[in-house]
Parts: sequence; C-alpha cells; structure tokens
Amino acid sequence: MRISVNNLTFAYTQRPVLKNISFNLSSGNFLSVVGKNGTGKSTLIKCLLKIVAVPNNTIFFDDIDINAMKRFYHVGYVPQKLDFAYEFPITVSEFLSCAYLKRKDAFFTALINALDLNPIYRENINNLSGGQLQRVFIARSLLNKPKILILDEPTVSIDNESVAALHNILKDLHSNNVTIILSTHDFDFAKNLTDYYLALNEKGEYQFLPRKDYDNVIEYI
Amino acid sequence: MLLNIFKAIIEFEAFRNAFVAAIVIGIISPLIGSVVVIRRLSNIADTLSHFSLAGVVIGVFISKLINLPFSPIFMGIIFSIGGTFLVEKIRNFYKNYKELSMAIIISLGVSLSGLFISITTGVTTSYTTGLLFGSILSVGKTDLILILFFAISIFIFIGFYYKQIITLCFDETYARISGISVKALQLLITIILALAISIFIELVGVLLISALLIIPVASSILVGKSFKGTIIFAIIISLLSILCGFTVSFYLKLPLGSTIAMANIFVLFIIFLIVKLKNSRYKKKKIKDEITV
Repeated sequence: MRISVNNLTFAYTQRPVLKNISFNLSSGNFLSVVGKNGTGKSTLIKCLLKIVAVPNNTIFFDDIDINAMKRFYHVGYVPQKLDFAYEFPITVSEFLSCAYLKRKDAFFTALINALDLNPIYRENINNLSGGQLQRVFIARSLLNKPKILILDEPTVSIDNESVAALHNILKDLHSNNVTIILSTHDFDFAKNLTDYYLALNEKGEYQFLPRKDYDNVIEYI
Repeated sequence: MLLNIFKAIIEFEAFRNAFVAAIVIGIISPLIGSVVVIRRLSNIADTLSHFSLAGVVIGVFISKLINLPFSPIFMGIIFSIGGTFLVEKIRNFYKNYKELSMAIIISLGVSLSGLFISITTGVTTSYTTGLLFGSILSVGKTDLILILFFAISIFIFIGFYYKQIITLCFDETYARISGISVKALQLLITIILALAISIFIELVGVLLISALLIIPVASSILVGKSFKGTIIFAIIISLLSILCGFTVSFYLKLPLGSTIAMANIFVLFIIFLIVKLKNSRYKKKKIKDEITV
C-alpha cells in the first residue's frame, strides 16, 4: 500500500510538534522514523493511525484521504510495551482470539505457530516478558493481513534475543511487500531493512533521506 | 436455622422477590464491574450513583407536585446517563486534573439531593435511608421484571459484542483501527453502567453500589489467571456475598445492602491475606534457592 503525507503540521498546543512534513512511500517500502525523545515520532504515528485529528488532504493511503476512511482494514499496529499496563488477567489465547473478530481458522493457527506463541498460549499476558509480549502484539497486528504495518518503539524494554527475532519477522514482512513504518530511537536496529529515514529534530524540522544517506541522518539528529 | 430463611423465601412474596433480584444482580454486577475496572472507571461508578440519587430525589419532589407517569427511579436513570456526559464536558476544562470533574459531579449530586430532600414534603427518614443504603425488601413485581429484563439485555449484548468489548477495554487504539465502532460501543457501555446504577440503588443504595460492582472483581483479579476464569470467580464471590449478606441480614435484622457489602469486603481481605502469604512464601523460596546456588 502506498503512503503519501503532504504538508502535515500538528500541534497539541500553539507550538507545532510536526511542521509541514511531506514524504511518499511506495508499496513495500520500509521507513524508519528516527529522532530523540520529544521530537514528534509518536505524534506522527498517532497522526497516521488517526488517533489524533489530522487536517483533510494531508495523509493518503493508496490515494485515499485517511479522513475519508471509516475503517483501517489493512493497517497493523504494534504499540509500545509501556502503553499496555493492565493487571486484569487475560491469556494470550483470549487476547488474540478476541482481537480476531472472525472465528478461529487455519490462518489464525498458522500465525500462532509462525510467531512461536504455542508455549505461552495459555499464559496470563501480564506475566509475559517484554519480548514475549511484543510477539503477541505483532501477531495481533498481523491478524487482519495488513498491507501497512506501523510499529511504535518496538525494541524498548525487550531483550537482545527478542530484538533479533523481531528483526527477522520484519525482514519477512518487508520481503512480502508490506509497507512498514517503524518509530525508533535505535538507529541500527533496522539499518539493513530501511529504505528511507524520516529524521526529526527538536526544532520541529525534518529530513526524508534514503538509506545510503545513513551518515547524514546520524549527523542531522 | 437455614430452614427459616428458606421458609421465608417460599412463603413471603416480598422476600422471594428480594432474593431473586439479589441473585440476578449478583450475577450481572461482576460482568459490568469488570468492564468498569479494566477501563479504570471505578470512580465514575461512584460519581454516577451520587448524581443518580439527585435524579431520584428530584423525581420524588416532582411527583409530589404533579402526577408523574413513571417511577422516580427513571429520573435517576436520566441523571445517571446525563452525569456521564457532564463528567466528560467538565474534564475538558482541566489538562492535568481531569479527575476533578468527578469530585465536582459528586458534590453537585449530593448537594442537589440534600436540597430537594429538605424541600419535599412527606419524605420519611426510612425512605432516604433506603436510597442511601438500599431497601431490597421493597422490590415489587414490576421492579423484578425490570431487573430480569435488564439482565437478559446484558447477556444478549455481551453475547453479540463479547470480542469487541474485550478488544476495546484492553486497547482502544487497536479497536479503532480494526474497525470497531468505538464511540457507539463506548456509548452503549456508558448507558448500561448508568442503567445498572439506577436499578441497583433499590438493592444496596447509593453508597454501596461500588461494593457490588467493583469489589468482587477487585478480589478475583488478584487470583485469576484468565479473563473468563476471573469473571466466573467474581460471579461466585458476588453470589456468595449475597447469600451470606441475606442470611446475616435475616437473622440479625441488619440492613441488607450493608451486610452484602461487608461480606464482599470480608472475601477481599481473605484474598489479600492469601496473596500476601503466597508472595512471602515465594520470596522465601527464591532466597533459599539463591543461597543453595
């Protein structure tokens, strides 16, 4: 799925967090959104997911204004682990089967197997490690067979082994033509997968650069 | 001794109605309460019950002036639903102290209640005590039918929207992007909560509604391992508390709402104790294992 962002400006108060951001992604592109804390990475994710109100004609998925889309059928979303803080018990099985609004089928079972969730399938989600929880979130994000996958700081508070596993999953999705937007402060995590970087700085400015300009991205931030 | 209570249930219609109403409410309360707890709305339940009280009292006031075609409880329902929207509106005035809106609505509800009780002629102390602490023995056939109808509606609603409700409760963003009509579902949940509060006023009274909705869930989440298991355990606790409350209230002539709430709290404290013991045993075992290694 193509993504086009045209002159996106967003402000919570009077000072804009994002200023006139524009970029285009083709189907299957991998975009890493990088920048220090407070530069607007999460805000951009919120805009793309329509969690906050965005002006008309600023964000398009396959040439359709997201404000004209009632449902995001083909968008998968992996939240930050910190956003999920509950004490109410729910097993991985319950969590995923509820998120899968259809009846369980072969696709559902295949996804559970592919992400190696069987050993923790009956576990209470609140007892999982950061890496295990991340795999559950990824499984959930893939339930509606997304053509766009948006991940918000997925490497925060997960161990190295899980980071490597996440990298492999993203590599697979990337090779399957899924458009991926990854917000991260870890520049090296997806260095070999990234097609473009969107580098945000503290002044609200940005640069949209191809992978070959990696050194410039580091310098810019 | 138990025979007497069974005899009373069989022989006296008022007692039978009260018993059936209590059992039905005991089953549906944890279902509603779990959604309230997950969505962190526990304080809203308290706020709405106080605001609903104002509605009932104003309903009584109006019924003394003109012949109202409906029970004052319906005014409570209207106030309860209106209260949720007022809380939301007032929240927008504060950036960092959003919970102030609930304190404001509680104050408004209590002051309106006090005001209208004082200017309404013929309001007895037992009536106001009933509103505050419940008067389940006054549950008539119409009330019982209303409670049964409400319970069946809840079951149908949950049956149809179980997956959507759970998804919304645990992750609103995901619910939104996966195509769930979040606003409509939230509105339905709010209306159900408001209806539950207004209906439960008769059973346990304004001050103890939270005990019925929240405490069985607060107990079961400490020991539950799955969502379904936690809900079932909460229903068991709720029913046990109601049966205990009924028995104690019957023999010691104590207010039913209070005895049910006390039974719920008693169970919660036992669970606190069990969890504490379990945790300290686990810690001791861990230290022992570390020393051995």
